[in-house]
Amino acid sequence: MTGDILYRLRGPAAGPGPGAHRSREIGGIGVFRDQVPFWRHPDARRIDLRATLRDPFEGTVVRRFEERRALEVWALVDLSASMRFRGTGVTWDLVTELCIALARSATRIGDAFGLIGCGAGPDLMLPASRRRGTADVVADRLAAIRPRGTSADGLLTAASSLAGRRKLVMVVSDFRLPEALIGALFARLQGHDVVPVAIEDGALDEGLPAFGLIELEDLEGGGRRRVMMRPSLRTRWLAREAERRESFRRLALRHGRPPYRLADRFDGDDFSRHLLWTAA
Amino acid sequence: MTDSLTALVSRFGVTAPAWLWLLPLALLPLAASAQRRIPVPSLAMVPADGLSRLVDAVLTLAGVAAIGFLVLALAGPHLVGENLVRTGEGAQISLLIDRSGSMNETFAGRQPSGPEESKAAASRRILEGFVGRRAHDLVAVSAFSTSPMAVLPMTDRHDAVRAAIRAIDRPGLEATNVARGLGLALAQFGPGAPQAARVLLLVSDGAAVIDRRVQPLLREEFAKTHPTLYWLFLRTAGSPGLGDRPGGEDTPQAAPERHLDLFFKSLGVPYRAFEAESAQAVEEAIREIDRQERKPISYTERRPQRDLTGFAYGLAALAMGLLIAGKLAETDLATRTSASRPAASRETRRAA
Repeated sequence: MTGDILYRLRGPAAGPGPGAHRSREIGGIGVFRDQVPFWRHPDARRIDLRATLRDPFEGTVVRRFEERRALEVWALVDLSASMRFRGTGVTWDLVTELCIALARSATRIGDAFGLIGCGAGPDLMLPASRRRGTADVVADRLAAIRPRGTSADGLLTAASSLAGRRKLVMVVSDFRLPEALIGALFARLQGHDVVPVAIEDGALDEGLPAFGLIELEDLEGGGRRRVMMRPSLRTRWLAREAERRESFRRLALRHGRPPYRLADRFDGDDFSRHLLWTAA
Repeated sequence: MTDSLTALVSRFGVTAPAWLWLLPLALLPLAASAQRRIPVPSLAMVPADGLSRLVDAVLTLAGVAAIGFLVLALAGPHLVGENLVRTGEGAQISLLIDRSGSMNETFAGRQPSGPEESKAAASRRILEGFVGRRAHDLVAVSAFSTSPMAVLPMTDRHDAVRAAIRAIDRPGLEATNVARGLGLALAQFGPGAPQAARVLLLVSDGAAVIDRRVQPLLREEFAKTHPTLYWLFLRTAGSPGLGDRPGGEDTPQAAPERHLDLFFKSLGVPYRAFEAESAQAVEEAIREIDRQERKPISYTERRPQRDLTGFAYGLAALAMGLLIAGKLAETDLATRTSASRPAASRETRRAA
């Protein structure tokens, strides 16, 4: 397994320089795009002799080529305390793994990778960089931080700071946020290609016990609650979770891509498939 | 209902109140619990559930109760004793029983042998039945020989009365001193319940001279308590009866029984004497008394202090049982215990 994550932007890239992604820019070399009259693209080196001779109006025809451009990949990471959850997988480790893999994959093909972590306010900011060592920096920064925000309202301000050219933005969170906040977040990221990555856990899903007493404590300080687990309650719980996931999926689809469900362990190939499949 | 509850609360007391300073500890279960807390991303994901809330409330209450009742048990809770006023049909009966040596003899004046029974034994047998028959009688038992003996104060505990009566056929002693015995038996009535029927039942097989100096005092006492006086005279066969005049001088010394009878008659209280020459006659006399003395009676009864420590410990144990059940029912999410970073991330870092 190479571990590289393959991705493609929905629509043409508009990065700062030449790179690996298709764009609308017209450049000297690349994939053939179309033929236009010489007056529209006065580049004498690209005159298509065969087409010029074949033209009944004796116009001069020039070949145009698509330029491939680089891209900025950003990870917008939720740093609210709920990301500390340990279930079948360790949420924060999954986030770290995902970000490192993204950083490495992006810089390998010449794209820039940037990282913003937000709790109640922006806590972690790593400007987009194409340097080869970005993945190491990302790993160090993420290892140094403990998510302890009481909310994820910082994501909104962070989203506003991601203005400018179209970017690939991974929103990494457990998305146990108010639906209004998620909607507002997606609305602010309107111009970008947003990939929601929903971190979930099997322990809170199919792994729920059917019988017994559990005392649950809210990681974000929402108190504690004793729950008498039994099959009927488990069914209701799972149904509610499925409903929440479905409504979130619909919300995400309205703004672009469906969410990627990252549960228990990180599989780079699976993530690549998701990214390529939903890019179309 | 509320009255009885407030009465119950007002009777509540503790032996060592200093322990009660620990009672605030009972609030601890509201803040903490013995269950292992499992952190979850959000409680909003848990569906609202009535049963869970009920179980939670029960367990929290059980925690509060367990600590609270333990502290209370340490403080030694009890219900303070009290005096209850009861009403029943019956009489205040003061039994005055002769314990002189002659009571050990049979009605024929001999030491009992074989199937014969002594006068004391006969009176014991019959009085025992008499006491058991009427539930609300208050009975006091006194005995006398040379000096009076307060055997049992006025009580409705018939078991105690019966036990006291059972003791009267122990061999008696010495002479007969009626005057002091009567004084004691009258004193047994006490000041309470003036409307109740009062019966003074004197059981003796003989009499003695009542000192002229003591007579006015006794008269006064009788006038004050105004009991109905029954004299069960266990007459030994051949001895002079109450109405028999002696052959010689008619002095109290010569015929004490007759003169005691005259003294009783002069008291101005309802009086009746039964001359019983056999066990059957005694029984008839008793039945007669039983028939006559039935009136409503109100009496006070002292209830003893009731210790509630065991009760409090029991409740605490019950609460702790619930807590243990909760702890045993505890389960867990399928979480991974190891806190180390997964190996894959190290691999990806190396690759990077």
